[in-house]
Amino acid sequence: MSARTQGTTLFTAILILVATTVVLQLWLLTVSTEALLSGQTRTLVPAAVGSTLLLLINTCLLRYVFRFDRDIERE
Amino acid sequence: MTVEKKECASCGKTPKWKQDFPIEWEGDHYVTRREMVKFMTLGSLLLAGANWITAIAGRVLHRGSKAEREIGAASSLQQTGSLLFRYPTDQDPCIAVRTQEGKLVAYSQVCTHLSCAVVYNKADNALVCPCHHGIFDVDRGSPIAGPPTRPLPRIKIEQRGDRLFATELEA
Repeated sequence: MSARTQGTTLFTAILILVATTVVLQLWLLTVSTEALLSGQTRTLVPAAVGSTLLLLINTCLLRYVFRFDRDIERE
Repeated sequence: MTVEKKECASCGKTPKWKQDFPIEWEGDHYVTRREMVKFMTLGSLLLAGANWITAIAGRVLHRGSKAEREIGAASSLQQTGSLLFRYPTDQDPCIAVRTQEGKLVAYSQVCTHLSCAVVYNKADNALVCPCHHGIFDVDRGSPIAGPPTRPLPRIKIEQRGDRLFATELEA
């Protein structure tokens, strides 16, 4: 299998992963908003930290995509 | 498509279909998997930002009030078992209760289910919402029966002689 074909499969998987984390972040935001409106402030900071961790995962995956492209161009 | 172009090459006008759908085919190439991952990561950044804004808003809005307010006499509480007052503002109804163990507790009177006013039931030693039969534990303010799922906000009470003072709303 060529690197480009591998890349296509890999990016599809990465895209699915990123989409899943974004959905999780959306859920966290929904929960946070509901908690804020009901005065339950204890869950807000952990939810924000969780959302930031998911963002970090997404950033790492995006960085991997860029690196992969760069390596392919060099070859 | 080519027929339309040929027709319009003679008249020099943009064909009608192109006026109705002004999409350039070149633009489609930008939306690749990589671009999608980029857009989603940007969306992820925005969502994380929104989550932090919510967290900060929670800190600012629900900081709790520390204004002191006289709410009544302790003797009146002993007669009826409960005392209604308003804290921290005149729009916030609250209830102070002397429990059967003699402990003085106070909570917001607004039921956390649908905002009806809760009342003290001396026989059951519980705070009861008459609207949907929600029952709250009088010692902790936590829901023990009925539809409410969240506890009643607690208010700190101080007794100085016969006078009772509300000192803090615990968020």
